[in-house]
Amino acid sequence: MTRAFSRSALPLLAAMLVARRAAGQQPDPRLERLDAATRPAVAALVDSARRALLPTEPLVQRALEGATKRASGDLIVAAVRRFAAELGQARDALGSTASSAELTAGAAALRAGASPTILAQLRQARREALTMPLAVLADLVASGVPVDSAAAAVLALAARARDADLVEFRRAVERDIALGAPPAAATAAAATAADLRVNAGARQQRPGRP
Amino acid sequence: MFDQSEDAVERLARHLRRAVRIDPAFDERVMRAITALPGPGRTTWLGEVWRWLKRPHQLTLTPLGGLAAAAAVAVVVVLTRMDSRPPAPPEEDSRAFQFVLVAPHATRVSLVGDFNDWDATRTPMRQTGTEALWTVVVPLVPGRYHYAFFVDDSRWLADPSAPVARDEDYGAPSSVLTVGGGGS
Repeated sequence: MTRAFSRSALPLLAAMLVARRAAGQQPDPRLERLDAATRPAVAALVDSARRALLPTEPLVQRALEGATKRASGDLIVAAVRRFAAELGQARDALGSTASSAELTAGAAALRAGASPTILAQLRQARREALTMPLAVLADLVASGVPVDSAAAAVLALAARARDADLVEFRRAVERDIALGAPPAAATAAAATAADLRVNAGARQQRPGRP
Repeated sequence: MFDQSEDAVERLARHLRRAVRIDPAFDERVMRAITALPGPGRTTWLGEVWRWLKRPHQLTLTPLGGLAAAAAVAVVVVLTRMDSRPPAPPEEDSRAFQFVLVAPHATRVSLVGDFNDWDATRTPMRQTGTEALWTVVVPLVPGRYHYAFFVDDSRWLADPSAPVARDEDYGAPSSVLTVGGGGS
């Protein structure tokens, strides 16, 4: 690289980078809705997440939810801190290529009781986005389904089921539970039905096969 | 005549050989005057930078230098695009979702959630058909959202037709909506 280039272009590039970094470190204006004592603590957590390359938008939303619901500052800071930790665990389990939506759903699944191993197995099993399988897993556990049963069912379906199949599966489980079926049994029955549906759909898509 | 001119030269030489007495403050006065002059070399660093910016410069690059410059520009572009906030969703990525609440005695209902910064003023719901039915349609991109209904600026209600958010941190009820990537 010539001396002329290093004397002219490099300082400009460095200035752009510094400006970009300074702009990135500006606190999110939406955090103005938090009280003066809570705002810096939440902003620090958001900055910390940004440095760790975690998505920060879900953290901002969690803080804004607390502000709108008039939660105390301590509660808001604790919620954001916990959520950031869960996003980090989800990223560790799902890999650095996981999207923000996947990490948010993964954090919900972890809080519901799913282990990081289950998240990693789902990543292995499915090529498509994991947002829906992880969300269905979290929702099933929230509905009272034992986490092992929910994880086994979602893992079995994840490889081939479309998002719509997974939503239908979750609805079937919730419907059967509402009708009085034990959650684990409802999950097993709905998983079997969903598996049949998914396999039938796959067979129909193959040309020249009945 | 000759002797007279020799004498004059002798006297001139003697006069020139005499030591000249200068006022001791003379040097100081001269230097002060020079310092006060707005000379061309006496500018601030800002002026130097401004002059440097106005002067034409010739940029010479080796092929390797050019590649390095292109890589540096690419790094800047990538860093500029890496923003924590999700970019505005393209229209084809978002799907319209209708939220419905039956609230017979409500006078005002808002939908609040992760998709509108939990701002109760942003997504008011409208009464449709019967007075008890409140609805609103919101475009959403794939993701998992927490949301709730805010009734009469005082009551929080979860959506009875959606899963309850068990990862709720603030005590008030919330619901969960997961938007899939396609076909959901």
